[in-house]
Amino acid sequence: MKRLAVLLLMAGAAWPVAASEFEKPMQLKGGDEIIKVEAPGYAFPCLADLDRDGKADLLVGQFKEGKIRVFKGLGAMKFGPGEWLKAGGEVAQVPGVW
Amino acid sequence: MAGLFQVLWGQADGTFKKAETLNGTDGQPLIIPMPNEKEIVESICTRPTAVDWDADGDLDLVVGNFSGKFYLFRGEGAGKFNPKPEPIKAGETHLQVQGHHGDPCIVDWDGDGDVDVLSGAASGGVQWSENTAGPKKTPVLKAFAALIPGPVDPNEGRRPHEVNEPAGSTRVCVADVNGDGKLDVLVGDALSLVSPKEGVSEADFVKRRAEWKAASEDLQKQMQAAQTDPPDMEKLEPLYEKFNELYKAREAFMIEERTGFVWVYLRK
Repeated sequence: MKRLAVLLLMAGAAWPVAASEFEKPMQLKGGDEIIKVEAPGYAFPCLADLDRDGKADLLVGQFKEGKIRVFKGLGAMKFGPGEWLKAGGEVAQVPGVW
Repeated sequence: MAGLFQVLWGQADGTFKKAETLNGTDGQPLIIPMPNEKEIVESICTRPTAVDWDADGDLDLVVGNFSGKFYLFRGEGAGKFNPKPEPIKAGETHLQVQGHHGDPCIVDWDGDGDVDVLSGAASGGVQWSENTAGPKKTPVLKAFAALIPGPVDPNEGRRPHEVNEPAGSTRVCVADVNGDGKLDVLVGDALSLVSPKEGVSEADFVKRRAEWKAASEDLQKQMQAAQTDPPDMEKLEPLYEKFNELYKAREAFMIEERTGFVWVYLRK
């Protein structure tokens, strides 16, 4: 694990800059709060219409306990406050995340 | 075990079952086999995405891994997959992101009717591999190129007011987020938010942080020099220890919060 962590730290290599075809990046919010995952981080976003209301919901996975938070899609790039995804009636966990 | 695939099977009422390890058609857990003990990076930190890669009507699994390479587990229908992965290639070369951690997002990025591969990476940013095969054909891929360049210092701690773009360990999702008819890119990241410890002045914090960074860079250079083939573990082990000690020494002047944000890049 120690060696892997070091490899990660040494992985920052530079790329040639591509022509910009994007606006400046913005942090997404859930409700009024900027979305942030629990330590040690590793946010993994995915959009899917989980509640089948015609609007994409935002699922954000994280390293800690392999949990996934769901932010209900409200349209126009707005999302509601996050709730943990449930599976089998409990907070869903994906084992062996590392 | 790291490297296995988990699935939360959806149910008719919209709920999910608890995570289960995904098995191949041989009844054994799907995993990218290690070519040898030294190449554990082929098997771990796997990131699967389900897509009909070979246009045969069945979902396949396209999988990234720690080494930054990509593999295909061919689908055989009804959630069953051939247990033997195939390397996904760009020409004659194994498709690989620059840096570590392949994170496949399969989407028709250039709108030519076939699916391309986008990926995040440990070094941050978003890379894409263009598919030139055309619609409903097995992809023919180019090597990865930068779509969104990563930051210069993807793993450097950031003051909260310095956070203005994704850091490292990027993970990618593509969708028309704002409904303007153009595909946008969602990016998740991992970073450290750093602040002065209580009682440490701003000026002292800046000075000690710079000193720490210089020491860290020096140590990383030494570690890189010892990354021979095979690695010089006699040199590396003490350096790892030193690095751990150095990392812990930051606690004397710095508060660190590890987290990750979700960013959107809207396409112009």
